Amino acid sequence: MQESVARQAAGSRSDVSPKSRGERLFAAGWRTRDWPAAWLLLAPVLVLFGIAVVFPLVDTIRLSFFDTRGLSKPKFIGLGNYVKLFTDPAFRDTLVTTLIFTLSTTIVSVGIGWMLAMLSAFAPRQTLPFRVMIFAAFGISEAVAGYMWIGILRPDAGGLLNAVIGIFQPGFAQPWLGDPRTALGAVIVAAAWGGVGLPLMLCFASVQAIPKSLFEAAYIDGASHWQVLRSIMMPLSLPGVRVAVFINLLGALRAFDIIYILTGGGPVRSTETVGYFMYRESMTQFKLGYGAAATVVLLVAVLIVSVPAIIQRTAGAR
Amino acid sequence: MNLTGTTPRLRRRTVLGAVGLAALLTAAPALAQDLSGELVILQWQGGTDAEMWQKLEADFAAKNPGVTVRELVVTGQGDMRGPMRTALLGGEKVDIIINTWPAFRAELADAGILRPVDDLWGAANLDAALDASWRELGSTNGVTYGVPYTYGDRSAIWYKTAHLEKAGIEPPQTWDEFLASIDKLKAAGYAAPIAMPAKYWAHGEWFETLLLRIGGVEAAARLAAHEIPWTDEVVKTTLRKYAELLNAGCCGTPEQMFAGDWDYSADQIFTADASNYLMIGMWMNARARNDYKLNEGVDYSIFQFPAMGLGHDDTASVDAKEISVTTNGNNPAAADAFAVYMVSKDAADILASYGYASPSKNADPSLLGPVQQVATAAVAQSKVQFVLGDLLPGDVVDEYRVQLQKFLQDPSDATIDAVTAAIEAKAQEVY
Amino acid sequence: MIGRAPRWPIVILGIVAVIWVIPIIGIVMTSIRPLAETSRGWWRIDSFTLTLSAWERVWETWPLAPAFVTTAVLAVIATVGTMLLTPAAAYAFHFLRFPFRRLLLIIIINAFVLPQQVVIIPLFQLWRDLGLIDNFLAVLIPYVGLSFAWSIFLVKNFLEDFPAEVVEASRIDGAGPLQTFWHIVLPNSLSPVFATGILQFLWTWNALLLPLLYLRTNVPLPVILARINGTYELNWDMQSVAAIITTVVPLLVFLVFQRQFAAGAETRSGAKD
Repeated sequence: MQESVARQAAGSRSDVSPKSRGERLFAAGWRTRDWPAAWLLLAPVLVLFGIAVVFPLVDTIRLSFFDTRGLSKPKFIGLGNYVKLFTDPAFRDTLVTTLIFTLSTTIVSVGIGWMLAMLSAFAPRQTLPFRVMIFAAFGISEAVAGYMWIGILRPDAGGLLNAVIGIFQPGFAQPWLGDPRTALGAVIVAAAWGGVGLPLMLCFASVQAIPKSLFEAAYIDGASHWQVLRSIMMPLSLPGVRVAVFINLLGALRAFDIIYILTGGGPVRSTETVGYFMYRESMTQFKLGYGAAATVVLLVAVLIVSVPAIIQRTAGAR
Repeated sequence: MNLTGTTPRLRRRTVLGAVGLAALLTAAPALAQDLSGELVILQWQGGTDAEMWQKLEADFAAKNPGVTVRELVVTGQGDMRGPMRTALLGGEKVDIIINTWPAFRAELADAGILRPVDDLWGAANLDAALDASWRELGSTNGVTYGVPYTYGDRSAIWYKTAHLEKAGIEPPQTWDEFLASIDKLKAAGYAAPIAMPAKYWAHGEWFETLLLRIGGVEAAARLAAHEIPWTDEVVKTTLRKYAELLNAGCCGTPEQMFAGDWDYSADQIFTADASNYLMIGMWMNARARNDYKLNEGVDYSIFQFPAMGLGHDDTASVDAKEISVTTNGNNPAAADAFAVYMVSKDAADILASYGYASPSKNADPSLLGPVQQVATAAVAQSKVQFVLGDLLPGDVVDEYRVQLQKFLQDPSDATIDAVTAAIEAKAQEVY
Repeated sequence: MIGRAPRWPIVILGIVAVIWVIPIIGIVMTSIRPLAETSRGWWRIDSFTLTLSAWERVWETWPLAPAFVTTAVLAVIATVGTMLLTPAAAYAFHFLRFPFRRLLLIIIINAFVLPQQVVIIPLFQLWRDLGLIDNFLAVLIPYVGLSFAWSIFLVKNFLEDFPAEVVEASRIDGAGPLQTFWHIVLPNSLSPVFATGILQFLWTWNALLLPLLYLRTNVPLPVILARINGTYELNWDMQSVAAIITTVVPLLVFLVFQRQFAAGAETRSGAKD
C-alpha cells in the first residue's frame, strides 16, 4: 500500500519511463523555441560566473605551469609543478588524510542532519527552537568554533571532554589534539558538529515539500510514524540529501580555518588535508604556481567523479 | 604636462614653483618641516600594536605638519606575509613597509621593491643612534634595507616566582644548574617543569638559542644561508643537548607537547600552576600584566638562557621589527624622514610606554618595566642573531618545524640523523 | 504534521540541540567573563565573575554601526541577486534544451571545488585595472558569481521533483518557456529558493577574504572584527563578542526565511488533483 503511494509521488521523476504521449509532445513542442529563452534566463548568470570564476580559473591554470617564489618573477617550468606534486611525499599523505576527513565529516553531518530533519518534521513548530540552536553551530565562524573546541579538547584533566570522562575514570587526561592517533578524529568531530546545520535545513525543506496527501493516506492506512519515516520521508527527501552531500563534501575539501586553529595541520602533519595544503602553499608560502597545480589536480579529480554522474542524471530530463 | 592652454605669466609661475619644490625635496631629509604630501604605510598589525602605531603616526605628523599619514591596512590570520604579498602583487603602492622577517626582506629586495638605506644611514648619521650589529641585522648581502626600531629578546625563560620559591631554587645561571633545577621542581611536585608548546613553532625557540650557544651567531647565519648543511655536526650537537632536556623528563609526553600553543603553555604556568618554565618572546609580558593581572617582576620574571660554557655564551636570539622604504612609493622624502624618526627619543618613549624595547641609543631603558630591563641588559651584552624561523625561507621553515616535532617524539641519535637529513633534503630543493 | 504531534521526536531533538549548543555556550561565557577565568576553561565555575568589559571595549574601539550597515547592504544585494538569478538558470537547465547545456552545467557545478584563494589575486588585478577597488561591485560580482556553483545545483535538484505534467499543461495552453517559468514554476519553488537565500545571506554576511582585499572605506563587520587580535594578543574575550554580534543577524534571517519551507507543502497537494 505504501509502495503505490510512493510511486504516485514518484511518477513525475525522470527515472520513470519518459515515453508517455504528453512528454513526447512536450519535448517536440518547445525545442525549436527553447534556446532564445534559455539564453535570456542564463545570460546574467553566465556573465557573472564568467568574470568571477572562469577568468580566475583560466589564470590559475596558466599559473600552474610557472614557478613562483613569493614576489619574484615567475619562471616557466611546464609540467614541473605537477611532477613535484606527485613526487612530494607530503602531498601523497595528504590525499589519504583528505579522503578520511572528507568522507567522515560528510557521512556524519549529513547522516545526523537528515535524521534530525525527518524527526523534526513530525513536530515542526515545537522543534523550531532546537533547529535554530543546531543551525547556529553552522553559522558561527570556523575560527571561533575552533577555539571553543580547543577548550573542550584541552589535554589536561580540566578539559571539558576529559572532565566528563573523568567522572567514570578519574584523572583521565588524553591530549586529543596532540596525539597523532586521535587528532584527526577530534578534528572530524569538530567539523561535523558545525556541518550538521546545513543538511538539517535542506532535508527539512525537502521533507516539508512532500505533499500532505501522501501522509494523510498513509496514516489512514494505519502506518506507524516509523514506517512513514522510512517509506515516505526518506525516499522523497533525497533531493535535499543530495545537495547536502554535495555542499558538505566540497566544503570539507576546502576546509582550512578549523584545521589551522585546532591542530595547525599536525601533529607531525597527521591532519593535513589537500585543502590545507593548497591554502598553505598559495597563501602562506605564496608559491602560487605550486598551489595552482594542486588546485588543478583537485579539480580534475572531482571532474572525473562528477561528470559521469551529471551526464547520467541529465540524460533523462526533458 | 601640457601647458599650452595657460597664459605665459601663469606658465612662468608654475615652472618656478616646480623648480622650487624640486629644490626643497632634494634637500630632505634634513629639512623635515618642509615635507609634504601623503605617507603610505603598509600596516599588518592589529590589537594594541595598531593602537601604538596610531600614536607614532600622530606624533610624526605633528612634527611634520605638511605630511598626512595613511595606513594601508592588511589583515589576515597567522603569517601576515600572505596578505602583504597579495596587496603588493596587486599593484598597491606604499612608501613604508614594516618588516619582521629577514627572509621577506630578501624576497622584497630581490623583487626590486625595497630601496637601500645605506645613503640615508650616512646622511642622517644613524650610527649615532644604532650600533653596527643592529645595522647588520637589517642588512641582506651587505646592503642595508631596514632600520630596526624595536626588538624582543627571544633567549629568555619565563617563570613564576612562587614556583621557584616552593622548590627552593634560584634562577639557574648555567646549564648544569638548569638541569638540576628541573629535578628539584619535579621533586616539588611539578610533573612537567618545562611547558613546551610544540603545536606550531614555539618548540624551535629552545633549538635556536642552543644553536647560538654552541656555534655562535655565525653558525646560525651560515645555516640560514645554507653555507653549511643541516647535517652538519653543530646542528647535531645542538639536538643532542636538546635531548638532554627531554631525557631529564622536562616536558611530559610528546602528545602533551603537541596539544598546545604558547598561550596554553603560559596558562599552564600562570593560572594552572602545573608547569614552571616557558621560553617565549617578550609579548608574554603584556599577557601576564593584562590578561593574568600579575605584577611584573614580583609575581613573575625572566632569566636569560643559561650559560653552556662552550665559548658562545654572549649570544642572544632576538626578533626585531624594521622600517623599510620602497622604490615605487610616492613620497620617498617623507619615508626617509619617518625611518629616522622611528629611532628618535620621542618614538622610543612611545614604544617604551607600550613595553617595547628600542635598539636606539636615544632610548631610555629605565622607562621599561623590570622584566623588560632584565632582557635589555642581557641583549646589550650579547651578539645578536635573528630568530632562525624568520631567517629561513618558507618551505624550509615548515619542514624544520615538523621534523622538530618528530625529534620530540623520540630524541634518539637515530632520529637526529633522520631528522637532519630530511630538513637538508628540503633545503636542497629550495636553495 | 497530521493530528497531534508525537512527543519523542521533540525530546530527541531537544537533547541533541542541548549538546550541540555547548560550544556556543562557551562563546557566550568567554564574552562575559574576564580572560583570566576563562583561560582555565570556560565551563569552570570555581570563580565566576560577570563583566561586560569585553562588550564595552569592542563597542568603543571599533566603528560597528557603519560596518553593520555596510554588511547588511552587501548581504542583501548579494542574496537578492542570487535568489532571482538562480531559479531562472536552474529552470533553463532542467526544462529547456539548448546547445552546450550539459557542458555549462558541468563547468558551473564543478566550480564549487575552487577555493576562494584561486579567485582573489587575478580578480584583484582586474579590479585595479578597471578602477573598481573600493567599489561594492568588486565584492558583489564574485559573491553572486561564485554562488551559482552550489545554488544552481540546489534549485535544480528540487526542480527534478516538479511535476512535468503541470509544465506540459502550461505549454499546451500556449504559454512560452518564460511565462511558464514566471507563472508556474517559480511560485511553486519557493522552498529551495529561500534555502538558497538563507545560505547566501549567511555566507556573504560572514565573508571576510574578499572585502578584506577589495574594500577600503566602507568595510563590513568581519573585516573590522578581524583586527581585534594583535599578532600575539589573542583577545578571545573580544573575539567572542565579535562572533556573537556577527552571528545574530543570519540566525534571524534563518528564522524568518525558514517559514517558507512549510509553505510549499500547503499549495502543492500532489500530482493527481
